[in-house]
Order: sequence, then C-alpha cells, then structure tokens
Amino acid sequence: MKRLTITAGLLAATSLSACAYFNPPPVESATVVEVVEEPAPLEVRVHSGDFAEIQQFTTPGGASVWLVSEPSIPILSLNMAWKGGEASDPEGLEGLTDAVTYHMNEGAGDLDSLGFQTRMEDLNMSFGCSASNDWTSCSASMLTDNAEDAMALIATAFEDPRFDEGPFERFRREQQVGLKTRETSAGFLAWQAASQALYPDHPYARTTSEESIAALTPDLAKEQMRKLMVKDRLLVTAVGAVTPEELAPMIDEVMAGLPETSTLPETPDIVLPELEPAEPIVVDLPQPQSLVQFTGPGLKRDDEDFFPAFVLNYTYGGGGFESRLMKTLRIEKGLTYGIYTSLSSGEHLQTWGGGGQTKNESAGEFIQGIKDEMEDFVENGVTEEELADAKAYLTGSYPLGFDSNAKIASQMMGVRQDELGIDYFDLRNDKVRAVTLEDVNRVAKEYLNPEDYLFVAVGQPEGIAAEEFETEAEE
Amino acid sequence: MKRILTGGLAALAVFALPASADTAAESAETWTPTTFELDNGMQVVVIPDHRAPVVTHMVWYKVGAVDEAPGKSGIAHLFEHVMFQQTDTLAPGEFDSIVSRNGGQSNAFTSWDYTAYFERVAKEQLGTMMELEADRMVNLVIDDDPEGAFISERDVVKEERRQRIDNNPGVILQEQVLSELWKDHPYEITVIGNMDEVAALTPEDGLNFYHEYYSPENAILVVAGDVSEDEVRTLAEATYGQIIPTGTAHGQRKWRDVPLLTEDKLIVHSDPKVRQPVWSRYYNGVSQIRTPHEAYALEVGLEVLGGGMTSRLYQSLVEQQQLAISAASYAWSDLHDPGPAVISASPAPDVSMDDLETAVMAEVDKALAEGFTEEEVVRARNKLAATAIYARDSQSTMANVFGSTLAIGGTIEDVLSYPDDVRAITPEEAIAAVRTVFGPDRHFIEAQLLPAEGEN
Repeated sequence: MKRLTITAGLLAATSLSACAYFNPPPVESATVVEVVEEPAPLEVRVHSGDFAEIQQFTTPGGASVWLVSEPSIPILSLNMAWKGGEASDPEGLEGLTDAVTYHMNEGAGDLDSLGFQTRMEDLNMSFGCSASNDWTSCSASMLTDNAEDAMALIATAFEDPRFDEGPFERFRREQQVGLKTRETSAGFLAWQAASQALYPDHPYARTTSEESIAALTPDLAKEQMRKLMVKDRLLVTAVGAVTPEELAPMIDEVMAGLPETSTLPETPDIVLPELEPAEPIVVDLPQPQSLVQFTGPGLKRDDEDFFPAFVLNYTYGGGGFESRLMKTLRIEKGLTYGIYTSLSSGEHLQTWGGGGQTKNESAGEFIQGIKDEMEDFVENGVTEEELADAKAYLTGSYPLGFDSNAKIASQMMGVRQDELGIDYFDLRNDKVRAVTLEDVNRVAKEYLNPEDYLFVAVGQPEGIAAEEFETEAEE
Repeated sequence: MKRILTGGLAALAVFALPASADTAAESAETWTPTTFELDNGMQVVVIPDHRAPVVTHMVWYKVGAVDEAPGKSGIAHLFEHVMFQQTDTLAPGEFDSIVSRNGGQSNAFTSWDYTAYFERVAKEQLGTMMELEADRMVNLVIDDDPEGAFISERDVVKEERRQRIDNNPGVILQEQVLSELWKDHPYEITVIGNMDEVAALTPEDGLNFYHEYYSPENAILVVAGDVSEDEVRTLAEATYGQIIPTGTAHGQRKWRDVPLLTEDKLIVHSDPKVRQPVWSRYYNGVSQIRTPHEAYALEVGLEVLGGGMTSRLYQSLVEQQQLAISAASYAWSDLHDPGPAVISASPAPDVSMDDLETAVMAEVDKALAEGFTEEEVVRARNKLAATAIYARDSQSTMANVFGSTLAIGGTIEDVLSYPDDVRAITPEEAIAAVRTVFGPDRHFIEAQLLPAEGEN
C-alpha cells in the first residue's frame, strides 16, 4: 500500500493549481516538489499528415498526448490506454482486471455508484474502461461546454475509486451468470476449444471460474488497478474542439492520482504447435447451424511479410464479396451468409484465421470448401488482377477510417499501441502499393497450408469425422 | 456482414438509438441538410460534413416488408440481395467489384418500412456510385435459371435467417411475441420472412417486386459528407435525373392501425441453449411519426422508468432488492405504425420468474401512482437531446436518421426539432404517456425465455 501514499501526495500538489475538486491530503512526498515546478510553455510538435493533423505533446505532468483539434462539433473524444491487461491476472484470480475496469465508473470520492452515474448523466458524458489480454483502456466522450467538469469527475475515478461492496457484489453476480451463459455461446466454445488445443498453458487460455470469481475482493481489485493504471505507461489520444493548451491541464488533472510506475508479470510469447494431421474439433451445441472457425500461424506487425499478408488477406477472406472464400462459399454455393478471414498480430500471439456459419447438414462441405480454396492459394497464388484489386480497395478505402472524431482517436491509439510511428497514416498506403505478386504468392505458400490450420465446429455438424471436445457444459 | 437486415427483431432495438438522434439547434446552420427534388420525382437530401474528404451515399426506397403480398414474406429483403447481382450493363458480381476497386464500401438493409442501399467512398468517387445505383434502379437482370444466382441467393437468405433468428433462443421468442402483438397487421411476419415462404420465392416474384416499387419517384437520395448541394445536384441530374419514372410505383403503403391487444397472453420458449432466463411484457406502444408528442413523452418516461443504471427499475430491482441482474423499459417508436413498449428483466440466481414479475410490476405500479420528479425528467430529457450532438460525429448516423425519417413520411424539420421537442416534455406528460401504455385497461403479452426442462 506504500504506493498509494505517494499517489495521494502527488495528487494534492497538482490539484492545488488545477481545481478545487479534491480534498488535498497532507503533502509528504519529496517527489511532489518536482511536479509543481513552473509549468514551461507547452511544446507541441505538429505532424501535418494526409489524414489528420496530429499535435504531439507531453503535458507538464508527464502524459504523452496525441491530439487532433476538430472545432466543428462541440464534443471531445478521449482515449487512454496502458500496456498490461487480463494476462496479468494472478493464477486463481482470473477476472481481477475485469473487476478493475468494471468499477471505474461505479463510484469515486464522495460519489457512490448511483451518484457517479447520475453525475455522468447530468454532464451528458460517458466514461468507461475495458481490458484485453495485453491492454487496459478507458475512453470518454464529453461536450466541450462542460469538459472541465467531466474531466474532474474522471480524475476522481483515478484518484479515489471506491470499489464499494454493492457494485462489487453485482459484478460477481454478473460474472456468475456469464459463466453459465457462455456454456452455450458458440463463439466462446469455439475460442475455448482452439485455445486449449493451441496454447493450453498460456495466460491467454485462462478464463474465469466459480472459484476465481469467489476469490476476488475489492482490495485485490484496487491493488491491481494501481498496477495497471500508472503514469509512465499511459498513452493518450484525443480528438475534439480543444487546443493542446486547453487539454494539457485537464489531462494532468485526470492522471494526477495515478502511481508513477509499476511492474507487471511478463507475458510469454506463444509458439503455435505443429498440428498432427487431424479432423476438426467438434463441440456439440443444439442449434441448426454450425459455427466453423479456423486458426493458423500469423505474422508479427513488424515482420517484413506483414504487408504482403495483409494484402493477401483481402483476396483470401478479408475483402467481403471480393474475397475468394465469399465468392465460392456464399455466392456460388449459397452455403453461408458470410465468411471472413483476418490477421491477428499481437505482441505475443500471431494468428491468421477466420470463420463462418452454415447449416449443420453442410458443415463438412463447408470445411472442405475452405480447405480447397487454401490449397488453391498455395498451389496457384493470386492473379495480377486480384492483387491490383486488393491494393486499389485497401488504399482507396483508407480515408473512410478518418471521418469521425471517435474513429480518428481510436486509429491514433492503435498506431501508438503498435508503435508504428506518428507518420504511419501517411506511409501506410505506400507500403500496401509496394507489395508485389511475388511477395503475396510466397506468403500464400508459406501460410495458407490447410494442414497448418486448426478447424473447430460448434453445433451439430454433419459430414465430418471429428474429435469430440469436452466442454465445461458437459462436465 | 453485408446485406444487413434491420427492422428485424433484435436489430431494430439497436437501430432505434441513433434513429432518435438528430442535429442539434446549436450550430444548425453547419449541419442542416438541404433538400430538393429531381424532375422525375426523386427527392434529394444533402447533409454537409466537411471534416474528411469522404461521402456516404444512400438510396432509400419507400418499400419494405410491410408491402409484401400474402404468402410472399421475405421478398423485400431477398430482393435487396438480388439488387447486387446483375444488370444490363454489369456482369454478375461486377457491382461489388467496381465499388471495391474505387475504395468504396457498400451495403444495404431492409426494414418493415423501407429498403436502403449505401456506399461510403472518397468524395471523388461519388459520381461513379451514383451511376451504379441509378443503373440498378432501371437495368436489373434477374437470373431465372433454376440453378442460377437468384436461387443460390435464396439459400444464402435461409442461412441468414438461421444465423439471425433460429440459432438464438431469445430471438426465436421475440419473433413469436411480435407476431402475436402485430397479429393481422402487415408487421406480423418478421422482415426476413417465414422460412417456407422464403424457400418458395421465385425469380418472377423478384421481377414483379422490382417493377412495382423501384422507380425514382419512390426513392430518396441522401448524401452526407464533404460535398455541396450544387455538386450533388449536378451529379444527381446526370444520373438519377435521366431515369424515366415507371409510373408503377403507386406509393400506396399498406400501413394501418395496430389494434390494441384484447387479452393478456403468455408465450414461453424453453430451449436447451438458455442458461439465463428472461422475463418481459410487451404492450402496445406508439409511433413517433403518427403522434410525435406522445412518442417523445413516452420516450422520456421510459427513460426515467427503465432507461439505464440510474433508472427506477434498475435501482430497485438490481441494486436495492438484488432480485435481477438487469431491468429495463423501452419502446420501439420509430416504425411507421405503433411498435411495442416493453418492460424486461432477468432474474438474479435462485429468483423465480413469479417473484421477479411481482417485484418488477410493483415498481412500475409505484411509479405510475407517484409520478416522476422534475429532476428525473430533466435529466432524461437532456440525455436524449444530447444524443443529437453526439450523432453528428458519424456521417452514416446522420444519413440514416434523415433517410429513415423521410422514408416513412416525416420531414427534415421533424428531425431538426427533436431536441427542442424532447426538452418540451413536462413531468406530467411523461408520466401520462407511461400511464397510458401500461394502464389498467391495456393488455400485454408476457414472454418467458427459459432453460429446457432438466437443464440448469
């Protein structure tokens, strides 16, 4: 709990100049003096790119911010993220990070859950947090008219979150219901079967259980919050009707209550196992359709073949009606409403996979159809025309991702999380254009072999000899 | 996924949120659409948003599942799929290829009240998108080969129905409930259609539908984004403006009054996939386009009663009594004819449906007896009005709000005045609207979603 004392000290110092919202506890840390030093004029580096003019600056309090000023709508979209997420839950305490994010808008300072929610409504703002395996994120939308009040409320959530028993018990009840409903969720069952087959001992494969939910406490959650949300890992992106000079003090106020730093457990890298030639895994679920998902090896974001793979994925299953899987399995055969593929290029796990649903009777034909298409990519590659079409779409549609404040804020956060560089938006289309037919076909040969893919079918699929998968529903 | 179906069941509830938003009065001049009509009767709406060099281009047809002939349920939606297939000038699949090669994204959706097609593209490609949409308004070719594209698309729609409805116990139940609520009304059958009727649709049905409803005087063009009214006018006159109206689009919609329920009914759906029971009551609601003031009053009232975590139902049932894990009230008021007003809750572990129902209705009755406080109503009103400002952040939302309103006979002014209209609702009006729909003289359909016997 030592870290909490330092936090309180820091907060008190900055809050003196920032606002009168807090009750400053006694100042007792030497660090404080540095924080209240003369604020130097804000140094803003402007990056004028093709899709956004990004203003990059570090606040006096030390937050690294990317801001796009957009005066035409009186709103502000704010995203915050910290590296470190659910994978850092200690074994036996699965769900701890989710408990943290759940409670970030469930009461802080003088406001209990209802008080906090009511205050957000009065300000017409939204604020909430969530976590993935590797990241903890918070986002807020507010009207610029009362942005200072909205930011002050968020500041109390970071400084003095309550983790009251009432909301905590509600969180537990919801989690318990979630344990039951996931037993018949096709998506969860498919994920569970794949993760157990591919990386059973990795933190990514762990899920909540009756026991782990019962073991969670408000104190543990508060402690985890102080590890997840710290100053030195905070990334901020914002888009809205504010200037850097207006935003900086608000961000400093928001983060004032956070600890300086923390140590989280390292997440090991996953190396996907060699698959034994095997039939698809089948998970029984009484419904008319089977959900078919397939997972194979992917690429890191900085792999030199990433862009060739990204371009190939369009022709494979990423390009909607222009993709081969869609053309064959939906348009020609009428076997599915939709089938897609995508690349997942996380820091510790890289996969390339996809999925779709078909009536149980045609599950075998559906899976065979997918495999046949993969074989064709491996053997014959794509055509010049397909490559040109893929590049034309991927480059031509890129601006569509920048037509709203919320989209730009989240695009910038993605670039920051993957450390792609502030000029990424401007370079990205050139990287797509530089991909050659040779690149794409080399990648197809290397990555689209059906024997490297794990297939899972959830439903009551017919036409496949399959390995039965034990689900927790059947235990 | 492409060819979205809205208006159908669960989708509608999601769609209802943005549809109640609009431009706010604050900087109305920047965000106010302009409108004009082409010589052939096609209405045009332009919504300026100059933040990014991108446009959203939509064509709304004033036809939906409500207009289907008896026995032909699902034709409006299946036909929407067929619109992507082939024209006199475009080979099968070429529509999608051209849009994609131009960096565009296209999609479409069907509701009971309308069918809409859209493309999102860089603004330089707007003219090409108009050429494509205008082409398929008059030149569509429907493949009548029994092994051909119409038939395989019919199979796709059957898979879509399985995916949207038949896989999902909650949606299966909702389909039954709505069919009962709208008995003998054209909304009775869900938008995607009955499976056996869809399976029997023919290419000829498609062609008849096309000739009856697809014509410029039955369509609305909506363009949102980085364009001016003049640019849109020039492009639209050169494309859509060249189309001669068929004269067959009679514009007579099959909308009519929804008779009030005359007795209480219970519909139970037990399913082995259900792990968490859900209880709800469906009452006859209102329609925003028919009775806007009542609809806004009901919207405000249901927001106070069950609109979120601060609402009466949530605070009482979930927070204080801990009998439920969720509790809410809401209405579908954005259809042309009145949709349901719903009270819904899901029990906490070990709470029976009977005990849950008693507790929920006690809270509803308490609210009906006491009325709402000024503070609650002001908060709900402001929250609803603010959605209009947030809605501006999305080009697609803006295009959808105006398009869907105009397609059911509303006006641009209806949308623009929404924040003021909502703010004008008094606490007395809000409670009166709720008292009317849940009143003692009104009947309801109770829906229970339960695990199968022996499960759980």
